[in-house]
Order: sequence, then structure tokens, then C-alpha cells
Amino acid sequence: MKEISLEKALVEQVERIGSADILVGIPSYNNAGTIGHVTRATQAGLAKYFPNYKAVLLNSDGGSNDQTMDVVRNTNIETSDTLLITHSSKTFLKITTPYHGIPGKGSAFRTIFETAKRLNVKACCVVDSDLRSITPEWIELLLKPVLESNFDYVAPMYLRHKFDGTITNGIVYPLTRALYGQRIRQPIGGEFGFSGSLAKFFLKQDVWESDVARFGIDIWMTTTAIANSFKVCQSFLGAKIHDAKDPGVDLSNMLFQVVDSTFELMAQYIPVWHNVTESKPVPTFGFQYAVGLEPIAVNVDRLIEKYNMGVKDLKPIWEMFLPGDILATLSRLQHASKNDFHFSDEVWVKIVFNFALAFKKKVIHREHLLKSLTPLYLGRTASFIMEVWDSNADEVEQRLEQLCLAFEKEKLNIIDHWS
Amino acid sequence: MDWLNDLIIEPIEVYFNNFLLYLPTLTSAVIIFILGIIVSVLLSKLLSRILRFSKLDRVSQKLNIPEALLKGGIKETLSGIIGKIFGWTLFILFTLISLQAMKLKPLELLVERLVLYLPYIFTALLIMLFGYLLGNFIGRAVLITSVNAGIKTAGIISRFAKYAIFFFALSVALEQLGIGKDTVLVTFAITFGGVVLALAISFGLGGKDIAKEFMEKRLNGEKDEIDYL
Repeated sequence: MKEISLEKALVEQVERIGSADILVGIPSYNNAGTIGHVTRATQAGLAKYFPNYKAVLLNSDGGSNDQTMDVVRNTNIETSDTLLITHSSKTFLKITTPYHGIPGKGSAFRTIFETAKRLNVKACCVVDSDLRSITPEWIELLLKPVLESNFDYVAPMYLRHKFDGTITNGIVYPLTRALYGQRIRQPIGGEFGFSGSLAKFFLKQDVWESDVARFGIDIWMTTTAIANSFKVCQSFLGAKIHDAKDPGVDLSNMLFQVVDSTFELMAQYIPVWHNVTESKPVPTFGFQYAVGLEPIAVNVDRLIEKYNMGVKDLKPIWEMFLPGDILATLSRLQHASKNDFHFSDEVWVKIVFNFALAFKKKVIHREHLLKSLTPLYLGRTASFIMEVWDSNADEVEQRLEQLCLAFEKEKLNIIDHWS
Repeated sequence: MDWLNDLIIEPIEVYFNNFLLYLPTLTSAVIIFILGIIVSVLLSKLLSRILRFSKLDRVSQKLNIPEALLKGGIKETLSGIIGKIFGWTLFILFTLISLQAMKLKPLELLVERLVLYLPYIFTALLIMLFGYLLGNFIGRAVLITSVNAGIKTAGIISRFAKYAIFFFALSVALEQLGIGKDTVLVTFAITFGGVVLALAISFGLGGKDIAKEFMEKRLNGEKDEIDYL
């Protein structure tokens, strides 16, 4: 495994600090507009809920050119008029550093894990730098289960708009739940708490040159924690509102990186998930409440149009590994009107498992395989959005529960193919 | 009737005698050729089977060789491919031996030249195979990327990419064989340059609206606000 390379200044700062109890990591790339709020919330959370702990905030930056690191350095709760903090932390230190390696969130996390190891921290958490809805309570909810209840991994749980998180809702959550039997609602949420020992375990894994170093890091952390029997829980953080997404981010690449990591882990942990026959809830921290969410604009017609283009041009590729009845259904949908465009759970679940099997059997190049999933994913997303157009949050959750059960049922049918 | 004997019967007799004298040579050549077919088929299958039993395919799977071949549209196993190449090599060798066994000067010369030419044929075949694999791989990558980018002419673009690579490989292979060296290269350059220019002009003039729509979609995030993750 290639050794991690840290900035000399970071190494010196860490050596000067010696050790700490808590490390909060904030990966960033051009987030000058929001990272100040995230830094303030973090500092306030540490001061309010962990005044007797020695805490370090580490900003691991991917080469921002908009003064992101300067904002972190210059942000302080004492300068803020909006916060009144009566507590003051025992020690609070801030470090900003650029990370090295493959550009991506995973490489930023690796620097955070390495720093956690060198500081020998008890608990660690990471929060995204584009968050607008983060409050000091998030820091408490991500760290307390580790420090006081001996949990190793804390996944986030949010209220999100029903059209948001479609990769999470459509693939990652139901598949992870079906495979490993743990109902972690946001396995790729972006904010996580974890113990110092789990950070060391993460560091030892040889994944830092793969897609884990990019968008795959979240699912990799969650799955690694579950599959290696670390104590896992989730914390309700409220609404997740963050900066408008970067239009330059290509959906196909994002889907590829997340699904690639998910399927890779699926192949790696076959003995773990083979023995899991049902799912169960995980301990959940935090007071759950309802909040209003910002509306989201969706162009369903365009999603269907892209699906139709996919069926027209990519069907010969799918014919290499999808069963005939599924292909027939996909062709039927291509000619359906918008009102009749219904992509059923059963078809979608079979598609996902057949893609996973084709991935394992290396039927075609993995990037071609997984990128050819994009039009199908868009078709399924369009169908789901139309179905829940008038539903409230609870109804959407119930609808997702049905999908999860379909995944759990199909998993039992496909186990033999994976032996 | 001496003239009949001189003009017709004697030449036929001479030809027939010569043919009878040559018959053992021809027979041996034909036998070598037939033997070559049988031996190459049998040894090809035998070698494939030996390689399969020696778990070559499993080793090749670990090295991702079947994946690489599939990328180029070849579904055969590695042991099968090696067996077939071995079989065809044997067949060519037996054919050359049988031609030489005929002991005909022009054929002997042809065989001699063919033997000297063999390395070029082999190199050309390798280039063609590589071009075929690469063309299929790139063609598929272009197709998927274009479909995901919402380009309606994805099929045409991918086929163009695939056949451009095939054609390029063919031109390099022909150059290797010394066939129309400059002609092939110049033809390729003119065709390729022409097609690119035609595409640029047609996209610039005829497809300016599509280009505008494409750029707008790229820059404006295609109007969707879904956070997929």
C-alpha cells in the first residue's frame, strides 16, 4: 500500500499538539461561502457539549482557489455576534492543510484518519463543508455515542426532500440494508462520527488508490464498519440543507463511483452477507421532529427522454447480462406514454442484482457496465418521482420500505448465484 | 498416320508418362496437406484441452485477460484462442511444406518468398487484432458516454469512432505489408481530415442550436436540482 504523504507543516503542528481527545474533520474544495458557518457551528458544538475535552478541528482541502482555508483560519466564534457561548472548551486548536493523493473526498478523509491516529484521539467526526443547516448539536450527536456509549460508528439521519438523495433511496440504502441487515437510513450521508480505533482500522485498508478515494468513501466507511462487526448506530440531525450542487459534477461518474464501491464491497464481503436473512433497526440517537424543506425542481420529461435514449442505444450491452423478461419490460416502457411510465420495484431490484452479478463475473469492463446503468437509474427515478409527486414524507418512507423489502426478498433468490 | 502419332499421341504419351512420374510427388504433397489439416485440428483441440486442464483459464481470469478480450468483443477463452492460433500456424506450415513437396520451381520460389514475408503478415495480423479490440472498446465507451450526455446521435458517433480506429489499424497493417504504402496513408489522412472538417462545419452551421442547448445544459446544471447522493 502506498504510504500517505502529509504536509510538513501539518506533521509539525500535530507533533506540537501531541495528543487530543476529539478530532473534527472538514473536507473542502472551494467552499469559502459556507465553510465559515460549518467552522463556527463545529467550534460552538465543541465548546458547548465537550468543554472538558481537548479538541482539534482539521480542514483537509483539495486545493481551493477561493480562500476556503483562509476562511477557516480566520473564523472564530468569539467574533460572531450571532452566538452566545457561555462554555469555553479546555483546548481548541484549528489546523488547515491541503491533502495529497487522488483528488476527492476519500483522500481528504485519509488525511483526517492519519491525523486522528497521530493524535491518538478517542472520537472523531467529519462534516461536509457545504452545509447550511449544520448546528452545534450535530457535533454533539455525532460524537457523544462514541464517547459515552462506546459506539464505533455513527451514521447520520436527516430529513430530506422526497426528491433528494435518489442514489441513496433507490440503490444504496435498500441494497446495504438487504445485504448486511442493518437499517442505516443514510449510508452515504456525508457526516459521520467514529472512534479512534475505527479510524486506525480504516487507515490500514488498501483502498486509497481506488474509487473509495473519490465519491465511494461514504459507502466504504459504512460497509467496512458493519462488515467488520464494529458497533454501529445513527443520529438524527434534522434537515440537511447544503450549497447548490456543482453543475459540473457528472451524474454518470458519481453513480459509477458509488455503485462501483458498493459492488466491490459486495464481492469482498460475500461470507458476511450470505448469512444475513433479515434486517433490523440500529440504535438511533437524537430527538426526531418534522421540518419544512426547500422545494426541488425536477424535469421528469428529460429523465424519461434519457431513459428512452438508453434503451435505444444500450440494449445490446444489457443483453449480455440482463434476463429476457427484464429486457422486454424495458422495451415496453420505452414506448409507454408518460402517464403509463411505471418502473416497478421488482424490475428495478432485479436490474440492480443482475448488474452486481455481471460486475462480479466481469462480463464487460466495469466502467462500461456501471455507466450503462445511468439511463435505467434515470428511468426508475422518473417513475418514482411521478409516483410520490403528491405524497408526504411519511408516505414516501412507507413507499421506500416496500422497495427495501423487495430488495431483501430478491437477495434470498440470488444468493445461490453468488456462491 | 505418322503425323497423327507425332503430333498428338506421342505428346500425350510423354505428358502422361511425365504425369505418372510426377504422381508420387503430387500424392505425397496432397497427403502432407490432408495430414496437415487433420494434425492441426487434432493438436489444436488437444492443446486447448491441456491448457484448460492446467487451469490456464483460471490464471487468466485472475489476470483479467477474459475481461480485456470481452472489452474487444471476443468471447473465446484464452486456452481456446491459443489452441486456435497453434492450429492455424500448423496448418500454414503443412500447406507450405506440401507446396514445396510438389518440387515445382515457381511454387518453390513463391513459398520461399512467402516464408520471408511471414513475419510481416504476422505483425499486420497483430495490428489488426489490436485495432479490432481497441475499436470495439472505444466505440462502446463513446456510445455510453454520449447516451449519458444526452446526445441523440450517440449511435452514429460511436460507430464513427469504432470504424475510424478499424480503418486506421487497417491502413497501418497494409503499410506493414508494403501494400500501397503512401497511397493508404494519404487516403486515410484525407478521409479522416475530411470527415472531421465536415463534422466541424455541420456542427457549427447546422447544429448550432444543438450546440447551444448542449452548452446551456452543461453550464446551467440541466435545470434539475436533485441531489442524487
